[in-house]
Amino acid sequence: MRLTTVWYFLAEGWHSARRNVSLISLGTIAASLFVLGAVGLILMNLNHISQLLQARIEIRAFLEDDLSPEGVAAIRAQIQATDGVAQVTFVSKDEGLRRLRGQLGEHAGILDVVGENPLPDAFDVRVEDPDCTAQVAARISRIPGVLSVNYGRGFTEKLLATMRLVGVAGAAVAVLFVAAVVFIVGNTIRLTVISRAREIEVMKLVGATDWFIRWPFLVEGMVVGLVGAAVSGLLLFAGYKVTVRYITGLAPFIPVITAPEPVAALCITLLIMGVLMGAVAGGVFVKRYLRV
Amino acid sequence: MMMLIRLYNVSKVYPNGAVGLLNVDTYIRQGEFVFLVGPSGAGKTTFMNLLTRQVLPTQGQVIVDGRNVVRMRPSEVPYLRRAVRMIFQDYKLLPNKTAYENVAFALRVTEANPRQIRARVMESLELVGLAWKARAYPGELSGGEQQRVSIARAIVGDPTILLADEPTGNLDLDTSWGIMELLLRINKRGTTVIMATHNRSIVNGMMRRVIELDGGKIVRDDERGAYRREADHGMVLPG
Repeated sequence: MRLTTVWYFLAEGWHSARRNVSLISLGTIAASLFVLGAVGLILMNLNHISQLLQARIEIRAFLEDDLSPEGVAAIRAQIQATDGVAQVTFVSKDEGLRRLRGQLGEHAGILDVVGENPLPDAFDVRVEDPDCTAQVAARISRIPGVLSVNYGRGFTEKLLATMRLVGVAGAAVAVLFVAAVVFIVGNTIRLTVISRAREIEVMKLVGATDWFIRWPFLVEGMVVGLVGAAVSGLLLFAGYKVTVRYITGLAPFIPVITAPEPVAALCITLLIMGVLMGAVAGGVFVKRYLRV
Repeated sequence: MMMLIRLYNVSKVYPNGAVGLLNVDTYIRQGEFVFLVGPSGAGKTTFMNLLTRQVLPTQGQVIVDGRNVVRMRPSEVPYLRRAVRMIFQDYKLLPNKTAYENVAFALRVTEANPRQIRARVMESLELVGLAWKARAYPGELSGGEQQRVSIARAIVGDPTILLADEPTGNLDLDTSWGIMELLLRINKRGTTVIMATHNRSIVNGMMRRVIELDGGKIVRDDERGAYRREADHGMVLPG
């Protein structure tokens, strides 16, 4: 393809985008992409939080009292050999008490009332796949010498279920808004096709190839998508910054993403998506309206 | 002379049942100047649209310059249309482009070498006698001048065939003769010209091959014909 031809496509696409795009349709595209990006940010944050939480999910296997060091070592070996186990750490009853004191904080005094250390020795077990925590815990509980297992039953499952739900809902919303963007871009392209019907007719008559006729519309779609995405990206980036400042001020214990890089990456992804959706809409709709 | 166009038993019936052409079997030689005459709806425009594959026949084969128009792939159609150019009664110029840009447009969309475009456009405009109005917009030109620009646009790519669908339909007689002179000159350079017209005096004055259509059928094909045989007896209204 000649450089002058490429230049012609870009110029034509740009000019008709400027001519035919209304503020309303651009605003709708930007709003749709904004919602899309917002869903993305929520998912990113949930993922971030759940990863932090999942890293903390451990199975604690309490051991029966009065086991010999060899017995403890044998149990350790058995746990280690269990399917799905990633890491095993021994927590002596003294270490366990120290941790419990730390967790109880100002209420630690209650332990003094109890007097003797009530905790048994234990193993902290980290699993390979958090989804399998329950199964691994069940397997470990069957090992002789293991008194009981504890893995935050319920909470793990709830967290994972919530993640999945948000993921599915987010995907559904995303599909809806992608469709909206494609439709709006398509409508813009339709207006161009109508306003340039005569030009297209002449192009066909003098022997322009289909692709030569189609390219400017593709460019137009990409321009519309890019501008809409740029607006929403900027708003999203700025909006997220403000929201994070608000959240960290209000509830500092929620580990939201504060680094700008992943948010910027999301905005750039949005930009690329805008361009791609514009190109797809331009290509598909021009074929439909043009009948070249 | 070489057969440039060949129609084998061609019929075209439109989806609404209207008959465009009916069992037409004819040929046109390279370098010929042919008039298509006949009443409105006789099939003149269908005849031309078949040659540029704007419509496909419902039956028969159309061969243009060695290419089977019916069987060609859609991707080949643009190349057919670069060889077979059309001019129209309503000129079909782009109003927001100057005369020069209108002509250059026909070259640009065929991705011609940009360095050659200027020279070829000016050459075409000179041939039609409008080089001095290259910067005028169609709205600033008379009907005859606009038709000349559209002719310049048609010939700028050196087509093998020039189809003219009532090119003088909107023009007065003097201007029409100017256009005819131009078409003859283009014909002399080797381009085959097929012209559909209702203009009796032009057909009678040129003494060229006349194919008369009626109801989609060829009813007459005279090598050096008149608009109508009956015209000699004064049975046709002047038009």
